[in-house]
Amino acid sequence: MSSNRIPRVGIGGPVGSGKTMLIEQIVPILSAKGYKAGIISNDVVSKEDADRMRQNLATEKGLVPEELVIGVATGGCPHTAVREDPSINLSVVEEMESKYNYLDLILIESGGDNITTTFSPALADYFIYIIDVTGGDKYPRKRGLGIENCDLLLINKIDIAPYVGADLKIMERDAKIVRNKKPTVFVNSKTGQGVDIVVSYIIRDLLFEASPKTLVNN
Amino acid sequence: MDTDIDRVDISLLQMSDSFFPTGLYATSNGLESLSQIKKLKRKDISRFITIHLRQVIGPSDCTALGNAYESCRKRDFASLLTADKSLYFMRMVEETRSASVRSGNQLLKCVSSFTKYKKVLRDYQNAIRNGNATGVYPVSLGVATWSLDIPKNKAGLILFYGFAVSVIGAALRLGILEHLERQQIIHELRPVILESIMKNIERPISNMWQFAPGLDILQMKHEMMDSKMFIT
Ligand SMILES: Nc1nc2c(ncn2[C@@H]2O[C@H](COP(=O)(O)OP(=O)(O)OP(=O)(O)O)[C@@H](O)[C@H]2O)c(=O)[nH]1
Ligand SMILES: [Mg+2]
Repeated sequence: MSSNRIPRVGIGGPVGSGKTMLIEQIVPILSAKGYKAGIISNDVVSKEDADRMRQNLATEKGLVPEELVIGVATGGCPHTAVREDPSINLSVVEEMESKYNYLDLILIESGGDNITTTFSPALADYFIYIIDVTGGDKYPRKRGLGIENCDLLLINKIDIAPYVGADLKIMERDAKIVRNKKPTVFVNSKTGQGVDIVVSYIIRDLLFEASPKTLVNN
Repeated sequence: MDTDIDRVDISLLQMSDSFFPTGLYATSNGLESLSQIKKLKRKDISRFITIHLRQVIGPSDCTALGNAYESCRKRDFASLLTADKSLYFMRMVEETRSASVRSGNQLLKCVSSFTKYKKVLRDYQNAIRNGNATGVYPVSLGVATWSLDIPKNKAGLILFYGFAVSVIGAALRLGILEHLERQQIIHELRPVILESIMKNIERPISNMWQFAPGLDILQMKHEMMDSKMFIT
């Protein structure tokens, strides 16, 4: 079973911090390099995010088959669905693994939740936590399991930092302190600024620089 | 040494715990779509669960569970597959069917990670992998409880209790019940649960049935809902 395991990225973060938009930026970059991704989106009260990504990444851009963008409802418990009882997500992942073994990775968006969210290691191999500047520059300093434990911390919406009075230097300094040198990247998921760095972390730390499966097999 | 209790009792508690990882907390079994049509009260919730137990979970799920359990006891693998298929094809609504398959498969995976008696679990999982079985939840529960030495009737308790708790949990999160009402309803349901087990767990698979067209329609409506918190 484990030999079929497709590497998985868990993407967590508060409501509206930019998880879906980040995936919409990541997939085209991965795809241009030949990497194929499946997408699972946990939504708290709707399938809007899955529908949006399916429309954008599958129907319009043709980067992913439509059936590889799957929405999962969480019974109103987004953290449970990725941590305490990840069984529904695991089922969907395992179905993808058995039907679409050519995939290089699976991206799993958690429902928007509070700052203590983490992913079960049984579900995700690489954990990205994304916050945005609108909570103020105190955010990294206030810690929380997500911010402290994730493999990669993203601070999104840097374009609006001046309008909410968030000092990115302070955020960078504090993130370094609470994260014990694990990486933090500033991004703008609307324009894609910084997302290429995120992708290079994924390729290095999750895929260990492996070439895309479909390229290797051809 | 006190003989009133043994290790199996702990397995029984473990399997009934709402933290047992089968994703049941994310199912409302049609309650979410009913709550969109009608302002629900406390008595509607007990009634909703009672109808479910008498018309669906009892005569179909519990019967499949009982038959699966017996198949394991008699080492009759063919009849286990029959129970699996019969129940799978009886679940007409896709959403409900696939939720049951997903929960069942995760249940098998979880139990096989700790039980000593693995053979029938492994055979059943192989059959699922080869497309000869589906792993629907009640049948998986029958296999799992048998492998843990949990008595058959008590396996029935796990099935009904788990169902009731998942609907009641959904009612709580939908803002229909408060936390004390939740416990009161579980308490009230005790006779219905016992009656449903006694009536159905020995039923032969050929007499399995379900009849709740109103509930079927609710679950179909749920499939079409755009905005929803629950899987079913
Ligand atoms: N200005 C600005 N807006 C952004 C940025 N990234 C995302 N947004 C906006 O923020 C809003 C939320 O983005 P989503 O990607 O839906 O956020 P999410 O984390 O997936 O939200 P939920 O899944 O609902 O918790 C959208 O309106 C985006 O347009 C950014 O870098 N800059
Ligand atoms: Mg989203």
